[in-house]
Amino acid sequence: MFFSWANQILQGVLVGGLYAMFAMGLSLSVGIMRFVNIAHGDLIVLVSFLILSLTQAFGLDPILAVLITLPLAFLGGYLLQRYLLQRVIGEGVLPIILVTFGLSIIIQNGLLGTYGADTRKVAGGGIETATLMLGKGINVGVLPLAIFVTAMVMVAGLDLLLYRTRMGARIRAVSDDVSSANLVGLPSAHIYAIAMGIVGVTVAISAGFMSVWTNFDPTSGPSRLITAFEAVVLGGLGSLWGTLIGGIVLGVAQTLGAQFDAAWQVLAGHIVFLIIFMLRPQGLFPRN
Amino acid sequence: MPKAPFNAWLVPAGRLLLLLGLCFLIAGPWVCSIPQLQLLTQFLSLLVIAIMWNLLAGYADIVSVGQHAFVGIGAYAFFGFAVFAGFSPYLALLAGGATALVFAVPVMLIIFRLRAAYLAVGSWVVAETLMLGAGKLTAFGGGSGVSMPVSVVRSLGVQPALRYSHIYWLALAVAAVALATTWLLMRSRIGLGLTAMRDNEEGAGSVGVNLIRSRILCFLWTAPFLGLAGGIITLQKLRVAPPASFSITDWTVYVIFIVVIGGIGSFEGPIIGTVVFFLIRQYLAEIGVWHFIILGMLSIGVIMVEPRGLWGILRRVVPGDLIPVSHRPPARPLAGSDSAPSGTHLKEPHSTPAG
Amino acid sequence: MAGRPAVAPTGNGTLLAVEKLSVFYGQFRALFGVDLEVRAGEIVSIIGANGAGKSSLLKAIVGQVGRTEGRILLEGADLTALPTAEIVGGGVALVPEGRRLFPSLTVEENLHIGWEVGRQGEIGFDEVYRYFPILKERRRQKTRELSGGQQQMVAVGRALLANPRLLLCDEISLGLAPVVINELYEIIPAIRDRGIGIVVVEQDITRSLAVADRFYCLLEGRVNLTGRPQDTTREIVAQHYFGV
Ligand SMILES: Nc1ncnc2c1ncn2[C@@H]1O[C@H](COP(=O)(O)OP(=O)(O)OP(=O)(O)O)[C@@H](O)[C@H]1O
Ligand SMILES: [Mg+2]
Repeated sequence: MFFSWANQILQGVLVGGLYAMFAMGLSLSVGIMRFVNIAHGDLIVLVSFLILSLTQAFGLDPILAVLITLPLAFLGGYLLQRYLLQRVIGEGVLPIILVTFGLSIIIQNGLLGTYGADTRKVAGGGIETATLMLGKGINVGVLPLAIFVTAMVMVAGLDLLLYRTRMGARIRAVSDDVSSANLVGLPSAHIYAIAMGIVGVTVAISAGFMSVWTNFDPTSGPSRLITAFEAVVLGGLGSLWGTLIGGIVLGVAQTLGAQFDAAWQVLAGHIVFLIIFMLRPQGLFPRN
Repeated sequence: MPKAPFNAWLVPAGRLLLLLGLCFLIAGPWVCSIPQLQLLTQFLSLLVIAIMWNLLAGYADIVSVGQHAFVGIGAYAFFGFAVFAGFSPYLALLAGGATALVFAVPVMLIIFRLRAAYLAVGSWVVAETLMLGAGKLTAFGGGSGVSMPVSVVRSLGVQPALRYSHIYWLALAVAAVALATTWLLMRSRIGLGLTAMRDNEEGAGSVGVNLIRSRILCFLWTAPFLGLAGGIITLQKLRVAPPASFSITDWTVYVIFIVVIGGIGSFEGPIIGTVVFFLIRQYLAEIGVWHFIILGMLSIGVIMVEPRGLWGILRRVVPGDLIPVSHRPPARPLAGSDSAPSGTHLKEPHSTPAG
Repeated sequence: MAGRPAVAPTGNGTLLAVEKLSVFYGQFRALFGVDLEVRAGEIVSIIGANGAGKSSLLKAIVGQVGRTEGRILLEGADLTALPTAEIVGGGVALVPEGRRLFPSLTVEENLHIGWEVGRQGEIGFDEVYRYFPILKERRRQKTRELSGGQQQMVAVGRALLANPRLLLCDEISLGLAPVVINELYEIIPAIRDRGIGIVVVEQDITRSLAVADRFYCLLEGRVNLTGRPQDTTREIVAQHYFGV
């Protein structure tokens, strides 16, 4: 009995790694650019379909396909910020919400038109089913474990990037005060665009794992966005390690909810989110 | 004394057009076929939702992406009161609106803790939770929903023609009350305060407390009307189901497109947007997903080029508001004031008072 | 830097030439055809009452106001249409009004930003720490935790690290104790002696004229008096300052 619960919680933690991955890019854009990109989940799904096409049309290995999408996603993020979002940034919250909202609808329907409404999955060549037996009824999927480890590495990497590199300092400077940055000659539009390019890379990595581990279809984006948003808010806006914890909390809540009744999985996540949010609106690890 | 501008006639002409539209709506049951009447009923429901979203996003700075929750709550509550409690449909409709209001209080307590940029997704989370919750109600058919019993349907009229004109009158009444009272709200001290706040960032701090009260009022204001719209929609569809009654596409996505394209932050905008939406839907619906893509691009384009939408473009030639919200006299066009290249973002006042 | 500071790199030694500069904020006009000249190794003071247009002038030089008319030349090269990053990279650094540091960045990181956006040159971190020893002690501290005077030192240091040929200082004395102001103002002639052209904006006429080689007085967006401090009297300056 105990080990069965422990196993469930462990599975939940690992699922949380994927949620944290979804959330990391959102956490960056919230923390740095101070907006919520409503199309965030749709971008993840868009890249998943790209990976699907690369593996199916050219018979590429999924890992290779993901590697190919990384620079594309960086470029895509850069261009999106530089030539679309930057034009409405700093004019209040309304325009940026509406633009990313429109983008979300365009991506969803573009994918529907291109790929149809079917549910898809990228074949991972056996890694999906590989498990490590830890004894006593506790076993760990190799893929979830890889995802969780990657999520930790990503948080650590982003932390280093932001706090130990010159580009990181520039990004934080622009995030501190855009107009000061402009006054002293920091090209804030370019720096924001680079930050969004980095967000794009996190999107591509999470899309890579998601496309192998879970089913997706053109309208999966909003639920990814909502999960990501919940993880970001739970963790404390803009805190990367907090986001990881937020993702884990959601993952555990969902797996335990599914224990009671499979149909309660998603709802349990939302309810736990709302309860914690009411008790601690600033999140678990607010950035000072 | 300044001479009346050459285009002054456009204001009365526009008002005449609105009046003609109103006459047409009143004459609807006599001049329209049943399918046309159903279309008009949809039009009125969507118009109410659009007016409400505009009140929130365009005036009260509450950019919600979860208002479909209240439509869904209204739909379910209406169904519950009419079918299980045996209320008359009229009473059930009102009770549905009231239920939406009751739900609005805790929803508000949750989402108002989020700052503006995050409130959008926060409201979406709440709506999603409520929709999933509605799917757990076994009496309402769980996730797949349930149809209205014939007896309830017949209480509105045995013949379809009579029934549909009843539903239509209800929709028209709800829309009329919603528009008229919301217009009065915008002309009240509260509405004027919100408008002043939106148009002019300075002095925003001094009215902080009032601002919060006004935002609360606006949020609570919209809920019963959305609930009423949900009830009417249920009367038309004769069933409730979580994804349909809480449809984000129908009651939020379309509504945002309508308001953005018509013109956010004006009273005329949502009206124009709803009319345009129904006109182009007749043609665009046939091209499937592409009509969403076109609507999406159109609304992004509008935000980039003329954030005040179609009405903002028209307003460059039309010298005054058709439905004046502020007590200010219609603006005299200052030289170049409406075409200032740097100035077309949302915070700019719509009508430029002299000075 | 090859030549001696006092020797002008171009023809008549003009480093900065502002010609008929007007600045617009929407419908509002803040400057009306202002002419200004700064030579290398010269301290030029700009005085004027609140709202005279002093900050607008400096911001226009670094390309940070919406719409301008007229020309801004740095050693003959037209800066008018360039983005700020290129202007700063070309050797113009602004110490903005109100310091405008990046509060969550450390002293060192703030200084580093200046160094990165600027030009290659001889002024390095050691140089700045020599001018402001306290900053070396505090270099790992976030600038939001510093006193106002220390913050102003970071702002000046950040601009210096850009190795400017032209340094623009907007009210660096604002809100500081006299001792701190003295400390800052002692450094300005030392910077000038490196051959850097300096524009000092101050509301405090006495302080400003004491340090300046030449001055301009602005009134409601126009230059109404210019010359050398020693060639004029306090009364004349005061009359022009207040426009009486
Ligand atoms: N961003 C802006 N938008 C509109 N008007 C502005 C803006 N910045 C400055 N102004 C106006 O331009 C005029 C000049 O302002 P500026 O800041 O250049 O004056 P200043 O001489 O630096 O004043 P102070 O001594 O108070 O700093 C003022 O009337 C001011 O109100
Ligand atoms: Mg100033």
